[in-house]
Amino acid sequence: MSVRRAAFAVVGLALAFVVLAPLTSTEAAQQAGLPLLTDKLWFRIATTVAMFVVMASAWNIIGGLTGYASFGNVAFFGLGAYTAGAVVSNLKWPFALSLVLAPVVAAAFALIVGIPLLRLRGHYFAVATLGVGVAVGEVVNNIEPLGAATGLFLPIVRSDLFFFYLMLGAALLAVLTTWVILRTRFGYGLLAIRENEEAAAVIGVNTTFYKVAAFCIAAALTGIAGAIFAQWNSFINQDNAFAISDNVQMILMAVIGGTGTVLGPVAGAISLELIIQTLAGGGSGSVFSQIGLGVLLAVCVIFIPRGVIDFFGGRSRLSLRYFRQTLRETSA
Amino acid sequence: MSQFTQQVILGLLLGGVYVAVALGFSLVWGILNIVNLAHGALVIVGSYITWVLFTRLHIDPFLSLPLDALALFVIGYALQRGVINRVIRAPLLFTFLLTFGINLVIVSLLLLIFTGDFRSVTPAYSGSGLHLGDIVIPYIRLGGLVAALVLAGILWAVLNRTRSGAAILAVGADRDAAQLVGVDLRHMYALTFAIGAAFAGVAGGIISTFQSITPTAGDPYTLQAFVVVILGGLGRVSATVAGGLAFGLIEVLGQSAPGLGSSYANAIAFVVLVVVLVVRPRGLLGRLA
Repeated sequence: MSVRRAAFAVVGLALAFVVLAPLTSTEAAQQAGLPLLTDKLWFRIATTVAMFVVMASAWNIIGGLTGYASFGNVAFFGLGAYTAGAVVSNLKWPFALSLVLAPVVAAAFALIVGIPLLRLRGHYFAVATLGVGVAVGEVVNNIEPLGAATGLFLPIVRSDLFFFYLMLGAALLAVLTTWVILRTRFGYGLLAIRENEEAAAVIGVNTTFYKVAAFCIAAALTGIAGAIFAQWNSFINQDNAFAISDNVQMILMAVIGGTGTVLGPVAGAISLELIIQTLAGGGSGSVFSQIGLGVLLAVCVIFIPRGVIDFFGGRSRLSLRYFRQTLRETSA
Repeated sequence: MSQFTQQVILGLLLGGVYVAVALGFSLVWGILNIVNLAHGALVIVGSYITWVLFTRLHIDPFLSLPLDALALFVIGYALQRGVINRVIRAPLLFTFLLTFGINLVIVSLLLLIFTGDFRSVTPAYSGSGLHLGDIVIPYIRLGGLVAALVLAGILWAVLNRTRSGAAILAVGADRDAAQLVGVDLRHMYALTFAIGAAFAGVAGGIISTFQSITPTAGDPYTLQAFVVVILGGLGRVSATVAGGLAFGLIEVLGQSAPGLGSSYANAIAFVVLVVVLVVRPRGLLGRLA
């Protein structure tokens, strides 16, 4: 049970960080006359972690609960980001409006591509959605009013706190959505589709509607994260808004944490993002962090296919035997 | 009219490259049920081998193709036997993620070794071509198409005329049954992947003759190989050839359409992909899955 106690400690530390975070911003600390607890970099990392919690949880709804491994969720992130960009930069409307419009745009797009694509399964669905991610980015990259290849600049808003709490709010919304879905008829329908789609249809699950709805919910959540990212980063282009590597990262986080669970993606997002930041922070440049990520991917897929969440709740214990067993289950 | 003919010829020549890239991808997918996201990276490894042999030892790029095949065969065998075999019975998301990880590692290693500079292979004949009236056929592209068709012939012969080929097809049809009649699965998985990698290496050698190469230049080829396999259909060499040539034609004619350009290459590929998947899921010549 030591793993569990460690988990509580991590959650406790995270909560403490959230509560104490106000004291870490330069202005707030100066006003209160307190020393800085952390520097700006850590603030940025914490916001990034929250962003990936949103994306991994959203991916989990379509990939983990429904069993449709989408490699195109980053398109929703990019569409959300560019919706915010258009709202704030082109139309000069307030940013708050984009928090409403971004999920609507992303979900509408998910509806349009979801109806044909969710008829596909397995590899076909995975690569078709991968194509969506690449193609949407490419089309946006050719639209002149959205900055085309130069990218789109948004007016800079300087407030670490604001974006941290906003992203945290989005993360809570994503986790809560998953929690609620898993406790409703809708959620059971999704799980039934994942386990056996034909059987689900036979017992009366409207599979097309359920799948498209799950896809739209995932898209809306991812779109919100994109909108917040656009204003936070104040610059978006094809590379940062439609990065295929982000898409792989969110899947990896859900897989490392444990797909199909509420807290798995959260655990995965926190641990993986911290590992990536540590690797990148070594000063050796992004090449080694990429190699590290690739090796990590292989190790996780081979040895902990059910995710670290498998070690909680007494189902399995972290041991050499566990690794040997998971290895034997899938080896040739 | 002659401009249209020229476009059609260029499309078929480009299609030859896609045939070369997709043959190995299609084999690995059809037999092992693995969509190999590292395929593009293996292609570029082949390109770099050709580049090194050309710049250091002045070996003609087309003569270096067998060496590309040999090197990638060894790499491919080791990758499958050592790594991918460990998850071969896992759900497909896992093989997908694993090959993506392998792709990351290979691309990063190439960056470390060769840096991100553009490299090109320029034999003496690279600028010249065959003139037929107004129409020009570049020699290197013609060589690429011929090499791709030879590859397709070799693959067909290996699969249909050798004992190992029969074993590979048996594994593709039913793994458990193949094991029952004495096929060594681990070896056959590795052999299949090695052949796929060797073909990727040859495709990379062909690509290096007409395109500058960087460590990340392979990524688009993975997506394009996928589209070719979908377009042609899975499970037949002839389907991959048809799919590759058709996709080359569609891409060249699509990009010369008004309002579009080379910056829409991936978008065109994607539209083809979705249309085929929705209208004719088994492809032009594919067997029913």
